[in-house]
Amino acid sequence: MPIEDDLFDKLRIELRRGALSLGVLLALREERYGYTLRQELEDGGLPIEEGALYPLLRRLETQGLLTSEWREEGRNKRFYRLSEDGERVLAQLLQEWNAISQSIVRLSEGNK
Amino acid sequence: MDLIERYLAAIRRNLPADKAADVTAELREDLFSRIDEREGGLGRSLDKNELSAVIKDSGHPLVVASRYRQQQQLIGAETYPFFIFTLKLVLLIVGAIILIAAVAAMAFGGADPWQAIPRAVGQLAMYSLVNGGAVTLAFAILDRNGFAAEHIRKWKPETLPDLGEERRGKWEGPLEVALTIAFLLWWTGLVSPEFRPGGANFRMEAAPVWQQLYLPILILALARLVHNVIQWLRPRWKTARLILGAATAIGALALLPVLYSAGEWARIVPIGMPADAAMGLQNSLNLALRIAIIAVGVIWLIACLGELWRLGRAARERAV
Repeated sequence: MPIEDDLFDKLRIELRRGALSLGVLLALREERYGYTLRQELEDGGLPIEEGALYPLLRRLETQGLLTSEWREEGRNKRFYRLSEDGERVLAQLLQEWNAISQSIVRLSEGNK
Repeated sequence: MDLIERYLAAIRRNLPADKAADVTAELREDLFSRIDEREGGLGRSLDKNELSAVIKDSGHPLVVASRYRQQQQLIGAETYPFFIFTLKLVLLIVGAIILIAAVAAMAFGGADPWQAIPRAVGQLAMYSLVNGGAVTLAFAILDRNGFAAEHIRKWKPETLPDLGEERRGKWEGPLEVALTIAFLLWWTGLVSPEFRPGGANFRMEAAPVWQQLYLPILILALARLVHNVIQWLRPRWKTARLILGAATAIGALALLPVLYSAGEWARIVPIGMPADAAMGLQNSLNLALRIAIIAVGVIWLIACLGELWRLGRAARERAV
């Protein structure tokens, strides 16, 4: 049913939006540049368009959760990694993620 | 590679100036990394079409650039309900005013419906666009200033209307406001619809008493407009609403004797009509108006007593 597919896609995008920020923060516990970060996320099951990734990286950096620097490595590349604030916020977000996950499991089991 | 530079230049043109160079440098690096990967997989350089496909995958330049802007939408989700509510009301009032003016021009001004209706439709389209644009612009500015968050923070459930107020029709409030605005626009001469009452051989004119009462009627109508707006949008402001309601009803009652004592409210100016016939028509017309003023006086007296009773009841409720 096309309408149901469309609805599912919208809900899936909403669901994944928050998870992507968390995925990016997790992947950047190790220093990476945009292209390798995107590959890491895709390999981990969280593919993201480059058109969405780079603005997200800018926003997280502006919020103080990431640091970045340009470095020559074959070509000139911008490397990102988690800042100290980012590590603290990531720990809080992971707790929140786990709490949500447990709630969903409890709710889904309650309906059986 | 010319295509890549053209693509990056198109993005760059739409980026905020302070980050344009940095962003395009990063996007260039990403594009080359993807091209390297594709070429590594194929074991050869990409042809023109393959390169075009890689660039197309990166997204339309306007969309890519827009994602770097802080403001992603003209009116955000928080402000949107307030915007759409206001837009509907403004368009409703505009529509009602144009409709009233068109009906008045056809009913009393002898306007030709074949001309009046298309003109009204044209005015409706033009004024809806202008007012809709003004409301959209105002809310776009409010959205940037965090209006919705502040309004929601300050909002109190106690300001919700009583269930009794809810029983008023949905369109009653806006219609009263629209009618009062339409009257004010006509009374002040800001809008002059084709309203030239008369016949083939005579013209009807207002008697001098209306000129003498111009200012009191204007003040009364303005006060009534404020009352109607409060009744519609802030029904919980009971004291202000009741005081204004009673004051305007008393004011109208006070004007009636002055109006009644004039004895003449309309004049017939003959244009080829015999003078005695014109005088007869004028007398009949003024007799009809005399009866109408008495009827209006009785209705207003009842309304005034009603407003005073409600004001007294509100005062008693507050005292308890």
